[in-house]
Amino acid sequence: MKSVSRIFVYFFCLMILASPALAAEVNLSVAASLKEAINELSDSFARKQPGVKFVKNYGASGALTKQIENGAPSDIFISANPEWMEYLKNRKMVDTSSIGNFTYNTLVFAGAPGKASSMQDLTRLEKVAIGSPKSVPAGEYAIEAFRKAGLDRQLEKKLVMARDVRECLMYAERGEVDGAFVYKTDALLAKQARILFTVPQELYPRVTYPMALTAAGARNRYATAFFAFLHGDEAKAVLTKYGFAVR
Amino acid sequence: MQLSMTVKKSFNDFTLSTGFSVSGDRVGIFGVSGSGKSTLVSMLAGLVSPENGEIVLDGNCLYSSVKQINLPPEQRRIAMVFQQHSLFPHLSVRNNLLYGFKRCPLEYRTIDFAALVEVLKLAGLLDRSVTNLSGGEKQRVALGRAILANPRLLLMDEPLSALDDSLRFQIIPYLKSVSERFGIPYLFISHSLLEMRLLTDTVLVFEKGSMMEQSTSEQLARSRMGQTPVGYINLLNLRCPSPAAGLFAYPWGATRLLLSVGSDRDESMAELSSKDIILFKQHPEAISARNLLQCSVRSLFSSGRKIGVELDCAGNTLIAEVVQDAVDELAITPGSTIYAAVKASAFRMLPGT
Amino acid sequence: MIPLSSTDYDAIRLSLQVAVAATLLSLPLGFAVAYLVTFVRFRGKVVLEVLINLPLTLPPVVVGYFLLLLLGKHGWLGSLLSDAGIRIIFTLKAAVIASAVVGFPLLVRSLRIGMESIDPQLINASRTLGARWYDTLLTVILPLSLPGLIAGSSLMFARSLGEFGATIIVAGNIPGVTQTIPLAIYEYAGSPTSENMALSLCLVSVVISVVVLFLHENMAKKLVRRD
Repeated sequence: MKSVSRIFVYFFCLMILASPALAAEVNLSVAASLKEAINELSDSFARKQPGVKFVKNYGASGALTKQIENGAPSDIFISANPEWMEYLKNRKMVDTSSIGNFTYNTLVFAGAPGKASSMQDLTRLEKVAIGSPKSVPAGEYAIEAFRKAGLDRQLEKKLVMARDVRECLMYAERGEVDGAFVYKTDALLAKQARILFTVPQELYPRVTYPMALTAAGARNRYATAFFAFLHGDEAKAVLTKYGFAVR
Repeated sequence: MQLSMTVKKSFNDFTLSTGFSVSGDRVGIFGVSGSGKSTLVSMLAGLVSPENGEIVLDGNCLYSSVKQINLPPEQRRIAMVFQQHSLFPHLSVRNNLLYGFKRCPLEYRTIDFAALVEVLKLAGLLDRSVTNLSGGEKQRVALGRAILANPRLLLMDEPLSALDDSLRFQIIPYLKSVSERFGIPYLFISHSLLEMRLLTDTVLVFEKGSMMEQSTSEQLARSRMGQTPVGYINLLNLRCPSPAAGLFAYPWGATRLLLSVGSDRDESMAELSSKDIILFKQHPEAISARNLLQCSVRSLFSSGRKIGVELDCAGNTLIAEVVQDAVDELAITPGSTIYAAVKASAFRMLPGT
Repeated sequence: MIPLSSTDYDAIRLSLQVAVAATLLSLPLGFAVAYLVTFVRFRGKVVLEVLINLPLTLPPVVVGYFLLLLLGKHGWLGSLLSDAGIRIIFTLKAAVIASAVVGFPLLVRSLRIGMESIDPQLINASRTLGARWYDTLLTVILPLSLPGLIAGSSLMFARSLGEFGATIIVAGNIPGVTQTIPLAIYEYAGSPTSENMALSLCLVSVVISVVVLFLHENMAKKLVRRD
């Protein structure tokens, strides 16, 4: 019995020593297209502020929203669509005062060179990948662009639904689709796919990335510190480097 | 039918190795279970391949390890009736019967369906499902199915062993009549000497994987007499019984027999063991046994420790069993007259007849 | 309960199409393989048995990935087909193939059990009555393995209705073209506002499964009664 109580004591000590580490954890829920930028920024912040541990969750904004709504731990939420931020704001899951626009992006069509050069060319293609409009803002924007351009009926059976923008790109890179609607920032990271054309801005609303602290995040001093960091100049520089617009 | 077989096959616990030649239309293979009879027959049908040897039937080579011949079962024209009827459960009686017939080349489809149905008394069953038949009916259908395929040789592997006694002896006449009527020779496998005697002429005796002797069923029965507890079973064809003071009187040759059991059938077969016949040198004046027959001795034979006495009684043959001492005491010699006494209760009717 | 949209009806139609096609496609091969494994003796049978059962033990996404490697544009078989103008990936054909591969071991397993229960003496009887091996196969083995066939088919059908992992990889999520019920529900489930619609479709899925199982039980009973 003595050995059992000894194990208990060891565990207890470990827990106490570990708690400061837990306190320094920052949970990020970020739209997939910001992955590289946020990775760089969080690494940079971690070097300046040792002891901070980032838990990063990248995905489609709709899916992330759902997770947060269902209680997944999250301190900072960056969505690719104001709609999802509104959704969480209405459910009082974000700190309203912290909501602001983080950055902006543009929608492009990426694929193998020569496949298409304008929206009209799309009707000649066999398969086109978009993020599922039910949960991926880029997909919603693409659908809106089709509708405004009068192409939605013709493109109906050609659309392959992907989980998020990265998967779209993956399909395009692999050649399983003729091209994909992704953000300019994603297309810049592609190895084989090229930007074939930029979708005219009048066909879809401006891609805005609202950012906010969640209720839990507002109480986490490391989270608030990182939040402030994301508003700073270094962040703007990194975003621009990756192809995002900061104004 | 002319068959010669030389085969060898080893199994885990025993080896089957034999060579024989036999001709005739009603051949039996006799032996206890495990003596290799079933395997032998499977090899003949082509269902199992020997390790080496040769099988020739009516001049056609079915198998030869030397000449690399091994005809598949479907080309051998040898049909089988199994112990378990093995009727196709998804086909009706009619379609079971016709299964082999349909697969016969046209020139061999000589068996008349209606005639067969009549002989086997299957008329009322033709459109029934085979799962609703009694054991005896199933075996008759199995027999009919095999016959209709017009095989060169019919193999019957203990076809009666799964039936109860009364049924067994009912089916035997069918087996004989069908084979005779349609001219199909058969090879009948059994461990029952009685079945052998009723169905076969030549018998091959198998033991531990090889053939021990080849003789007639009659000879076999005689040679086994002293080794079995029931002795030699005399089989008597009796007909037209009439009642006689609580017993049944059957005419028998020039005289008559009184039996305590009778049958309401016209024709029956009765069994009488050689052990139940008592011999008298002189006519006993009064005796309780109701049957007292005057016979003359035809011959004597020995079997084990007993002596078999072949008697000629009013034109019929009876075999009685005695010990050597009795032979000496009564001076039983061929040609001498002897009296045979048999109790009325010693007779038994063959079940089902 | 929210009424079903036209894409939902598409999903239901596609699911049924894929399940029926996959089952029908697999039947001849499944029967042949089950026959081989049950009645024919040959070297290396164990290898065949392992291969058949492999899709059962692998995660469906792994099966999907292997199919992608095989049938993709640059794949081993896919490149040949692509030259001939045949496209498999991201079409309904791929969904059928995915369901067929994943359900195949279930079909073979049921067929095997059915075939193994056939009395070998019946096959011997058939051969001695003059039937060649294919004759025996069609007139004795096939009718008597019908219960196993039905059980296997319904199992495979039901499995196809629920196939997701391999399907999403090789057929993709294309509404109206390859989006079967599980894929449609997955898409709904990813979005916070569409959960109710997922529920309606789930209910349809349950109803179909219940009907299939019901029919299967009924047919099985009928066959048993006949015997």
